[in-house]
Order: sequence, then C-alpha cells, then structure tokens
Amino acid sequence: MEPPRPAGPHKPAQDNEKPLASASTSTPNYELRAILSGHKASIASITFSPDGAMLASAGSDKVIKLWDGITGEILDTLEGHTEGISDIAWASDGEYIASASDDKTIKIWSMEERSEVKTLIGHTNFVFCVNYNPNSNLLVSGGFDETVRIWDIARGKPLKVLPAHSDPVTAVSFNHDGTLVVSCAMDGLIRIWDAESGQCLKTLVDDDNPICSHVKFSPNSRFVLASTQDSTIRLWNYQTSKCVKTYTGHSNRTYCIPACFVTSKGKYIVSGSEDNKIYIWDLQTRQVLQVLDGHRDAVLAIATHPFRNIIASASMEKDLTIRLWFDE
Amino acid sequence: MNESLINPFTLSHPTAVQTSLYAGATFARFDPAGRFIAAARVNGSAEIWDLETRAPIRWLDGHVKTITSIDWSRNSRYLLTSSKDWNVLIWDLAAVCDPPQRYATVRFDAPVVSASFHPKNSQIILVLLATGEAYVCDTRKQHRSRVELLETIIDDGEDEEGPIRSPITTARFDPAGKNIFVGTATGCILVFNTRTKIMIARHKISGAGTMKGMDFAKAGRRLVTNSSDRTLRQFLLPKYPTPPADADASAPFVFLDGELEPTHRFSDPINRTAWHAMCYSPDGEWLAGGAADPAGHKIYIWDISNDGQFASALDGGREPLVYLHWHPTRSALASTTNQGSILIWHCPSPERWGAFAGGFEEVDENVEYAEREDEFDIEDEAVLFARKMRAEEEAVDIDTIVAGTLAPEGGGARSGNRGGAATPVGDGSVPPVDLDGKFSTGGEETTDLETAWAEEEPDGDVRGGWRMKIIMDNEAAEFY
Repeated sequence: MEPPRPAGPHKPAQDNEKPLASASTSTPNYELRAILSGHKASIASITFSPDGAMLASAGSDKVIKLWDGITGEILDTLEGHTEGISDIAWASDGEYIASASDDKTIKIWSMEERSEVKTLIGHTNFVFCVNYNPNSNLLVSGGFDETVRIWDIARGKPLKVLPAHSDPVTAVSFNHDGTLVVSCAMDGLIRIWDAESGQCLKTLVDDDNPICSHVKFSPNSRFVLASTQDSTIRLWNYQTSKCVKTYTGHSNRTYCIPACFVTSKGKYIVSGSEDNKIYIWDLQTRQVLQVLDGHRDAVLAIATHPFRNIIASASMEKDLTIRLWFDE
Repeated sequence: MNESLINPFTLSHPTAVQTSLYAGATFARFDPAGRFIAAARVNGSAEIWDLETRAPIRWLDGHVKTITSIDWSRNSRYLLTSSKDWNVLIWDLAAVCDPPQRYATVRFDAPVVSASFHPKNSQIILVLLATGEAYVCDTRKQHRSRVELLETIIDDGEDEEGPIRSPITTARFDPAGKNIFVGTATGCILVFNTRTKIMIARHKISGAGTMKGMDFAKAGRRLVTNSSDRTLRQFLLPKYPTPPADADASAPFVFLDGELEPTHRFSDPINRTAWHAMCYSPDGEWLAGGAADPAGHKIYIWDISNDGQFASALDGGREPLVYLHWHPTRSALASTTNQGSILIWHCPSPERWGAFAGGFEEVDENVEYAEREDEFDIEDEAVLFARKMRAEEEAVDIDTIVAGTLAPEGGGARSGNRGGAATPVGDGSVPPVDLDGKFSTGGEETTDLETAWAEEEPDGDVRGGWRMKIIMDNEAAEFY
C-alpha cells in the first residue's frame, strides 16, 4: 500500500556522493504546480508525511486536512478540536498525526482509521508546537504555559514537564536520534535539553535577544536553524554556541514563520515571509537564489517533501490556499 | 548524540537507582540497542518494556511454565524465550498484530534451561536442556539440523557403555558466534566450533566445581565464569583453531587441551556469597557481579581497566537480587529483585545551572579574570559585520551523520571510564578501544569462513529495517 521510502529520514541515497561545493552551485527553479483551497481560516502548519505521499494542513478553522502530496487532491478532513490548531506533526511511520491546539490539548489521529485516537491533556494554556521523536513513542510539545512537555503517546500520559522558558514556547523538536530536544520561545532563548533526564544542556542567545519563532535541528543534528522576528534566520553550531550562517532578505516581524532545510536537490534554506513571498537561500553562500511569488497574504507555513523537490506553502486569511511548487 | 554536551568527566559506572519497574519479573534483559527491556514473568509470559516511556508495550503469552531464559536477536527484531515447558518460542516484534503471535516454536523432550540466538543469525539457536545436553538447532532451509554438542572423549576401550560425559550446565555463543562455550558440572569449559560442531578445546578449571554461568566482554577475548565455588574468574582466551571447511564431525580433530589460568578471581572474602549473575560493561572496562545475598540487594563492581580492582558495592535495598544485566551501550544496569521489581541503575549527572544562561560557563574554582587588551574597545560596526560575514563563508555540513561529535575517539559503545552515555548512531563502525590488544590479527580469513556460513539465509533482522508499531493503549489511559 505504501510507496517505497528513502533509506534515510532526510536525504535520498543519490545525494550522498555529491560534494559540498557542487551542491552549492545548483540553482533552484521551483514552479507553481498546484493550488489547494479548502481551509476557511488561516493555515498555521503544513507538513508532508514521512513517505511523501500525503500532505497534512491545519489552522485556525480547527480542522486537519489531508491532501495527496503530489497531485494536491483533497483526501480527508479531520474534525475534533474545539479551537484553532497551531501545529501538526507526523509520526515517523506515517501512521499517526499529532495536532496542537488552542483548546489546550494535543490530539493523536490514526491515519488508518482517519479518526482521533487519543487526547493528551495537561497544558494549562494554548499548545503551540508539537513533534515526535524518531521512534515515535514520545511526543514533545510546548505552549503558552511556557512549559515543554514530553509525553508517552501509547498511554497518553505526560512523562516530563520542563519549566523551560519564561515566555510562550514557539517551537520544540527532537534531534535525529532522539537524545536531544531543542526549544525556543518568545523570550528569545534557544535551549537544548537532554531528552532522557530533562536537564538543560545549553542555552543559545543572540545579543539583541529577538523573539525566537522557530527552531529545528539540521538533518545530522549538528546545527540548529532558528528563525527570529528580526527578519533573520540563523544557523547555530550549538557545540560552540556560535552562529555560523545568517540568512536575511525576507520579512518576519510579527508571526512565527518556520524555516526548512532542502537537501533533496541542492542544499537550500526555505522560509515564508510576511511580504507574501517564499525565499530560497543557498545554504553555504547565504544568497537568495529564488523568490516564489504568488500568495496574497503572509506565508506562515512551509514544508519540504522528504525526497522530491517539492515545496508546499500556505498562507493567511486573505489567501487561504496551499501551493505546491515543483522543481523537476 | 547528547554525550557531547554532557560533562564527560562525571560519568563512570552506574551508581544509583534511577527507577524501579514493577514488572513481576523473575529476570530481565536489555535488548542490544538498549531501547527495551524484556522481563520474564512468574506465570510464563514475558513482557517488553519501553525504557523511554518506562511502560510495558508488549505481552508475550505462550509458555505454560516458568521462563528460564530470554535472548534478543542482534537488531532486536526477534525475541527468544525458553521455558520449563520443554519449548523454545521465537517472537517477531515487527509483526503488527497485538497480542503478538509466536513466530516459531522449537520443542524438546526435556525442560529447557537456557537458549540463545546465534549472534549473526537468529535462525541458529543454542539450547541447553535440564538433562545436561546442549543442542545447536539450525532452522535454515539449507542447513536444517539439530546437532548435540558432544565432548570428544578419547575412548580407551575399558568402558562398555561408551564414554561417560559430564552434564553441561551452561552454554553460550561467543560474541562473534564463531565458537560455542559450554561449562560442565565437573568444572570444565569446552569450546565447540559453531559451523562444524566439533570440539576444538577443553579447559579444566581447577577448583571451580560446577560451572554456573559465563559472560563475554564484547570484543570476545575475555570470558568471566561463575561457578559453584562462589568465585568469578576472568580468563584471557587463546586463539582457537578453526576446523577446515570440509571437516567432518566423525573424524578425529586434535583439540586444544589444557588448564586455563584465570587472570583475575573475584569473590566476596568476608561473606563468601555466591553470585547470581555477572556482566561486563559494554566497553569491557567494568565487571558487575550480582551477589546471591539473601538479606540484601548488592551489586559489586570491579574496575577491569585498573587491574580488576574492586570499585564499589551498590546497595539496592532489602529485596534480594536474582538477576543482573548491563545496558548494551550506556552506563546503566538492570537488576531484578526476588519480588519481581526491576531496578534501573544509572550514573546521575549533576544539574548544570550554568546551562540555563547563554554564554556562561561553570567553573569549579574561582578564576581571576584577565581582561583582554581590546575588550572594551569600540569597533566600527561595519568592520565587525564584515568580519562576521567572512567567518560565515566557511562551509557547513548539515547532513553527514557521525556517531556523536566525540565519535572518532570513542566509538559507540563506551560505558563510562572515558566519556559515557554513548548513543550508537549509524552502524558504529568505529572499533572500540580494545583492552585486550589486537584481537583479530591474523584471524581474518578464518573468521570470514564462519561468518559467511552464519550469514547464509539471512533472517531479516536488519538494523533499521523494521519498526515496532506503537500500540495505543486506551485502557491504561483511564488510570490517569
């Protein structure tokens, strides 16, 4: 039933031999191939399934929509949350989706049954971000109650509550082997935690302390990519606490806009922007290589296909569409 | 890969109980990846616990009598349970049905004392029966067989009923699966070649009495034995000959015969307690012994890298210890109490409060701060910016996965003396620092023959090639 998956979670095999330098010279040439409409309010999060066959989207209209990852055909709509949804995440086997909502709960949805299987209750305020660990037996979430929580999904029980930040937590995720958790918050701090003990191992902070709106580990987990609301995306080496790359040119002052790695063709950084565009930077040279124009409102959500050269983007009230951009 | 951020100097052998799992277990073993723990229960069922969530995730119900041993295949896909009900059951954890169905059943005509998978192919199993006979069962299509391991005895013709062999009391594969080591009731260690089942060595261990158990350090050169004289002995194993490819079990083979002198003897000189179990740390630098003390839960730890010096005695409370197993990669132990609880021991790393503040570093002592000459100079922002941009020119590698940032020096399987909490990433191709000197020198071509034989008809247990489905446990959720 499932199409074959690539060997690694982040990169196809044919990319391995490509030296770093030649990867930098390729230029992206993404073109709009599909416009998906159906959401009735701002779309906050979109993400491809691990096998790339499906795209899930969710937003203020309280529903999760499932689309075909390639053609963009609507497959299903999952209803159940009583408030808007801020973030969704796929389990690594593609069997479950977790959604974080302003109704203070996280719901787990079975893809087989296309229905809700579990509600995780514990956050005392809006849940803003959620992610699975690689084994998909744990879930990490953060929210406006300023905590990071680690959940046992099978039993629906919180394992750890970390008083992680002093402002709403805007992003949280595991590294590729599940031993570390990175979180960031509106207090401008990026923190790295030991997943097993819950101990704080590192805090990264920029001089100006801008609101940090998104953070994730690089595919090999040696760096973290952080978006801040001073219209900047930084790549941090968390071992040395040094910022090794800075990406600018887009506009991000108000919303939490995530940035993504593209490793399927060249090595790029992709982010939405509040000027209704999508920016693609070269990972190494930090130059803007392509700007995708088309959305009619700020692009809040962005996702990259696990192995094909596809970017999905979604926009706010005035637009409400999801667009699929292909470079192949 | 968290080890690079955790202070490397605080880690050593486990020192404190981290959690107790109330499993009702008679004994419990970690899987080779260290993600799960399998617990044998009194009623003949087995439970698999997820160490990350500390909750049981699978119930394997198949035996009608007590489980006597549990073994995991090398990538944790298959689980073997042996029981006094004369059966060995094999379970496939990649199967999606819940409760899991048995994957294979191997029946014998006596209670099974222990059984284990070949380290390279789970279709070959070594079984020890209560009658003192050991069998190698090969379930591969091309090799389907059940061969008893028979001690070669030079028959001097005096005995009419043939040679009398002393019963086998313990049997194990070495870590490479090349040889099988068995211990006998008369204090001998016999070594058999796995492929040909020919006895290649016999070692008399003087003063040992009945052999009760064996454990290998991962590199396979060192063996520790437990015997009825209440002493753990560590041996450095010699290099064993390999029977030629066309060797026949009926033809006489000149085996190594001789006493093996232990490099170390470990015992409790005061109480003279016996040992229930012993286990090497993954890097082989520590040895843990579980004392058969009826009044307490004591684990003795010896520092092998420091000439076997006694390092510490861990006290796990009042419930006596019955079993002990070291985590395959980390500085952690699982010890089972006679009340059925599994104690997970770890080496706690102290909370570093300095980590909460960006740019701060904790120091052990006060340090006089030396102000740099240019520390408070006001630099031109444009110059600063240009310098920053120049520094950012350096290429970064975001997708090559290495086994931890400290991997080059350590490898994936260190328990602690030099850096701890290692997490295996990739295939751990970096060889561990070898306490035993060069192990594989000159043995390559012979090892390959054995490996090639064992890897014929692979069992489908591929690293990363299977996953255990998460089963939503809606009933348990009611309790919270």
